[in-house]
Amino acid sequence: MRGRRDLQIGIATIGIAVLALSGCSSAKSGSSAGASGDSGVGPITFASGKDLTGAMPQLIAKWNDLHPDQKVTFIELSASPDDQRNSFVQDLQAKSSKYDVLWDDVVWTAEFAAHGWLEPLDPAQVGGSDVLPAAKASATYDGKMYGAPFMTNAGLLYYRSDLVPKPPTTWAELEADCSIAKAHNMDCYAGQFNQYEGLTVNAAEAINDFGGSFLSADGKSVTVDSPQARAGLQQLVDMFKNGSIPPAAITYQESQGADAFTSGKLLFLRNWPYVYTAGSADGSAIKGKFGMTLLPGQNGPGISSLGGIDLGVSAYSKHKTTAKNWVAWMQSPEAQKVLVSVMNQASVLKSLYTDSTLIATSPYLPTLGQQLLTANPRPVTPNYNAVSLAIQKNAYAALKGNVSVDAAITQMAADLKQAIQ
Amino acid sequence: MMVLIVVIGYPIGEAIVRSLFGDSIGGTPPFVGLSNYVSALSGYHSKEFWASAGTTYFFTAVTVTLETLIGFGMALVMTRAFRGRGLMRASVLVPWAIPTAVTAVLWKWSFDPAGIINAVTGSHIVWTGSEWPSRTAIIIADTWKTSPFIALLILAGLQVIPEEVYEAARIDGAGAWQRFRLITLPLVRPALLVAVLFRLLDALRMYDLPAILTNGSNGTTTLSILVVRATLSQLKPGYGGALSTLTFVFIFVTAFAFVRLLGVNLVERSEK
Repeated sequence: MRGRRDLQIGIATIGIAVLALSGCSSAKSGSSAGASGDSGVGPITFASGKDLTGAMPQLIAKWNDLHPDQKVTFIELSASPDDQRNSFVQDLQAKSSKYDVLWDDVVWTAEFAAHGWLEPLDPAQVGGSDVLPAAKASATYDGKMYGAPFMTNAGLLYYRSDLVPKPPTTWAELEADCSIAKAHNMDCYAGQFNQYEGLTVNAAEAINDFGGSFLSADGKSVTVDSPQARAGLQQLVDMFKNGSIPPAAITYQESQGADAFTSGKLLFLRNWPYVYTAGSADGSAIKGKFGMTLLPGQNGPGISSLGGIDLGVSAYSKHKTTAKNWVAWMQSPEAQKVLVSVMNQASVLKSLYTDSTLIATSPYLPTLGQQLLTANPRPVTPNYNAVSLAIQKNAYAALKGNVSVDAAITQMAADLKQAIQ
Repeated sequence: MMVLIVVIGYPIGEAIVRSLFGDSIGGTPPFVGLSNYVSALSGYHSKEFWASAGTTYFFTAVTVTLETLIGFGMALVMTRAFRGRGLMRASVLVPWAIPTAVTAVLWKWSFDPAGIINAVTGSHIVWTGSEWPSRTAIIIADTWKTSPFIALLILAGLQVIPEEVYEAARIDGAGAWQRFRLITLPLVRPALLVAVLFRLLDALRMYDLPAILTNGSNGTTTLSILVVRATLSQLKPGYGGALSTLTFVFIFVTAFAFVRLLGVNLVERSEK
């Protein structure tokens, strides 16, 4: 009897919660639809991925204090990029003005722009000379800027400074150092080789480094069918074959590789700068025993794929002027310093990579700045998802040794052609 | 009837209509007739489509067979009177109570190269790194999760068999195997078939386990994964609509054939 009553109370509680939630959301949409001005000035909403640092409200409060009539409301979405994209796509397809400013992963900008969902921005306002060129390129589609570069990212090579006397700069040097890993009963090198977006990033780095590419600059023709692209993929395949990359790495996404490295089982790791925090935390097996350097390449430092976030202004926003001014402010040194020092993210402003106060807490900044100067955007195309899938699928088959590198690249070219149609 | 039309007819109709239109970026989608279907069944994407249809049916056949056998076994144990039977029944249901996505994450950790399965068995298999280990992992996870469901449905069927029937058989000198084959099996058949039918429909739509365990790599892409990929990831509602309609037809035909061949009498049961 008791149990049943509890159950009834439980159901009633859930019912009330659902009612309350639906009440909230309808109230919200009502208010944003109500206030609209011709000037394009007024309160706006900003939807971003999950803010793990808690610093975003702080940053927004700064703006809100300065502009009480143009307040920014922060909407936090899921931590998963795929879910974020789904939220945006659903609203944009419905031409909803729920989000004025969108948090665009650099690989979505072209797609959103091609659908007519983003407002073109003024390069004078969001593409200044201090903004990294690769970040600007990733926000550009069809000759126009559709996003204000806000955060950027590049991969770096983590190495065990206590075991490796001099960090390698080329693949050959890295493979030679694998004897050190063997002597210590560790695995040598890993990146992200599971079949997902991370594999596109890693395969692109190897292929770009050897001089290959996937698509032409305008994204309209396929260029991957080249000896250079084959040589790049061959490098990774050979490392799997000769054991420089352990077999388990075929299942690695970012976190598995980071775990292997921070628990002391891996000598070299390609990853984003965030692993620095976990590696230097108290209790880490490698605290004070690792360094970060440029990615290895064929004849010297390699090329990183570019990650990062652009802030886009929705084409359905009712307050576009405010939205444009705000995304420009988010790119100002004032806001970008919070990004680096509090959020531990990579700024899009070149000048911050030489700022000595920032370097004191994030010693890898000069290296990251250098890596970013040569970083390559992933293929810029409105069909990015299909393009990335074609790259992953065929690179994965080659890494596992199911097909030859030659056949994999030939098939990749055919799949890419189909994908950009 | 109105409710049926609104909640079932409209979405299906909408998907079918949308599947006749193309997926151009920007502008209104052009009418393309059946070309989305042709593309899936015999065009550039046909290899991928038939491969994932094969995968889906393979998973369905293996998991439903295993789950029925194991579930039947569990039901036979649970129907006996012994101390702690209530606890046993409750604990058997735990895997079924866990959301599939959570199950998938649990098994993903277990099947990690440095995970518990390799540690316990002393093997060094990269479970999600190649074809058969990946499929085995998914089959194990699915069987672990859904056998209790079948067990529960069969248990319900077993409970309605009167004890006197068994007693009479025993008096007539029937052995354990005879009692099972001649009494238990025929009498539990309706419940068994309904359980298998439910599982069949469910398994043909399998999405979460392969999506989380392998992301569809290594020959584990099911039809549902293809549909989600086309519709959500690649924003191709036309092609995705065609894929989901085809999946729907496949499931419908399979269920229909099953009902016809084995004579599952759903209607009569619900009228009783």
